[in-house]
Amino acid sequence: MTTPTLLEMTAPLRDDFAIPYHDLGPAGERPALALVAGLHGNELNGIFVLSRLAEFLARVADGREPAHALRGRVVIVPAVNVLGVNTRSRRWPFDKTDINRMFPGYDAGETTQRIANAVFQATRAARYRVDIHSSNLDFEELPQVRLYEPSEDEKASALLFGLPAVIERRTDQVFTSTLGHAWRGAGGESFVIQAGRAGDLQLPHCERLFRALMAFLHHTGLVTGIDLAAEDQDTHYFGVDRTLSLVSDHAGLFVTHVQVGTWLQAGALIGEVYDGFSGERRAEVRAPTAGLLSGIRRQPLLYEGDLIARLQTRTPTGSEKQVKGQEQ
Amino acid sequence: MEILHDDIVSLALPYRETLRVQRTSFVGGGGPRVAVIAGIHGDELEGLFVCHRLAAWLEQLAASHPHALRGRVDLVPAINPLGIDTLERFVPVFDADLNRNFPGDAEGLLPQRIAAGAMAALSGAALVIDIHASNIYLREIPQVRIAEDFAATLVPLAQGMNLDLIWLHGAVTVLEATIAHSLNSTGTPCLVVEMGVGMRITPAFTEQLLIGIVNVWRTLGVLAPDLELPPPTHTPLVADDSNVHYLNAATSGLFVPDIEHWMAVRREQTLGRIVSPLHGGTLAAVRSPVDGILFTLREYPAVYEGSLMARIMAV
Repeated sequence: MTTPTLLEMTAPLRDDFAIPYHDLGPAGERPALALVAGLHGNELNGIFVLSRLAEFLARVADGREPAHALRGRVVIVPAVNVLGVNTRSRRWPFDKTDINRMFPGYDAGETTQRIANAVFQATRAARYRVDIHSSNLDFEELPQVRLYEPSEDEKASALLFGLPAVIERRTDQVFTSTLGHAWRGAGGESFVIQAGRAGDLQLPHCERLFRALMAFLHHTGLVTGIDLAAEDQDTHYFGVDRTLSLVSDHAGLFVTHVQVGTWLQAGALIGEVYDGFSGERRAEVRAPTAGLLSGIRRQPLLYEGDLIARLQTRTPTGSEKQVKGQEQ
Repeated sequence: MEILHDDIVSLALPYRETLRVQRTSFVGGGGPRVAVIAGIHGDELEGLFVCHRLAAWLEQLAASHPHALRGRVDLVPAINPLGIDTLERFVPVFDADLNRNFPGDAEGLLPQRIAAGAMAALSGAALVIDIHASNIYLREIPQVRIAEDFAATLVPLAQGMNLDLIWLHGAVTVLEATIAHSLNSTGTPCLVVEMGVGMRITPAFTEQLLIGIVNVWRTLGVLAPDLELPPPTHTPLVADDSNVHYLNAATSGLFVPDIEHWMAVRREQTLGRIVSPLHGGTLAAVRSPVDGILFTLREYPAVYEGSLMARIMAV
């Protein structure tokens, strides 16, 4: 069987360009679920997990997993930015544009507008749609569902993944050019998932993400016969006023020992900032309030104003500020 | 006339150094204040040369007509100094387009802090001119780009800028995060000039724009009304979304133009070819869809399917 492609284009010299995808389950039906990763070529967790999930679902669809059955059509695009993956580039490597700023796309436009259009057209009809990201090279995200001005159905369905956090965010100008936003106008339900950090694989996050997608397939009835891991039932929902972004007042070297997913007490030490020349300690970073550590800086070089950590709080933070430039 | 140097933004870098966004101010009487900014994308250098030429012109004015400067001129030639120092279009480390971070936030990430500092320094000016140089892919004829929302204020100013084209744009959401939109929507007129090509300077375009800028300054009262200036030599055409045609590459390869920039073209005229280094033939001929004037021409030869090769204004 030939591999289906979302889009095929010429390329100047190396080879023709194609975006392959997996089309599993009953052919010809409206897709029940569309899973997309690798809009950014350096976000590898989602690519790995979606390829592994496709391998499993292909076995189910072929009858090689007799305990399971696939009840709907599932479209999986492990990586949209194929050339970016091969050249370790977040953006589209030729003109350095960000594919996730090109939606809904345009089939007669620039190369990345054509790519965006192809992704949008192939996924828009799905009842459920998931776009998976892994932050950037500098920051590690606890596996989480992000919701942007969600419907009541989306709020309920987001809990089906069983990820540790479901986090509501406000839309902003940047979000309006993303796949997640383009989907909003297409009916159905859509979700953005963040898991880990770009640039390499964090296997514990990959495993958690894989289980989350299996849980979603189970709860929606798309795959039967799945046994869920009991430890993944601890999901917390955080509204738009339950996110606290800690930003640095200092430049320097940031060091930390904390792990995402930890519940911190007010005053708990998150990390320290050092002067990289004198070696003097400039600052301690402490949790201003109790909360779940949903993201932590992994890049030590620190500018004034850089994001150090995000805490999800049980009570309103009184601050609705979002640090810009850290979106998916 | 007094000449001052200071920083509109100063931020500590992680190891020892300080990032400074530097400004030169030419201060005359109590008349209107105007500003020229450039280098918001680190690969666009045309505006840096315009600032140099304006500084030279103003220094000479200080010697020859010390009282002719009635107001104040601020030059901020490198608003993204890290990008210029590292030959990067975006703000290094943050991989952020500085011109998508306005109006900024004094307590945000570095690009947001630069944006907030720039807004504070420029707000209230009688006119800000933001000079861009396209990118490394496309060469542009000297032009002003104006969002239709601000056309009533900006078109009369743009008419005097001695440029070839005024391009009126419809609203695009992401453009709201530009410095021009942020200034115009808060009452500070800002004209966006696009000219030339990335990583190069085009002195002829600079001299053309210089004449326009000083004439507009005189009209605004920044310069004495009786100061003699070289008269404008260009009258702009007006383009908008209804008469601009985009030519995107039908296939991938090397684009080789057959014509010169800023030429009148006929419908079906061959503008260039896309060829492959592997074969002797032509992969695709590039033909004009309309009678018009070619105002954008691809400079960087390699094209992907979809790459923009030219823009033509139908006439």
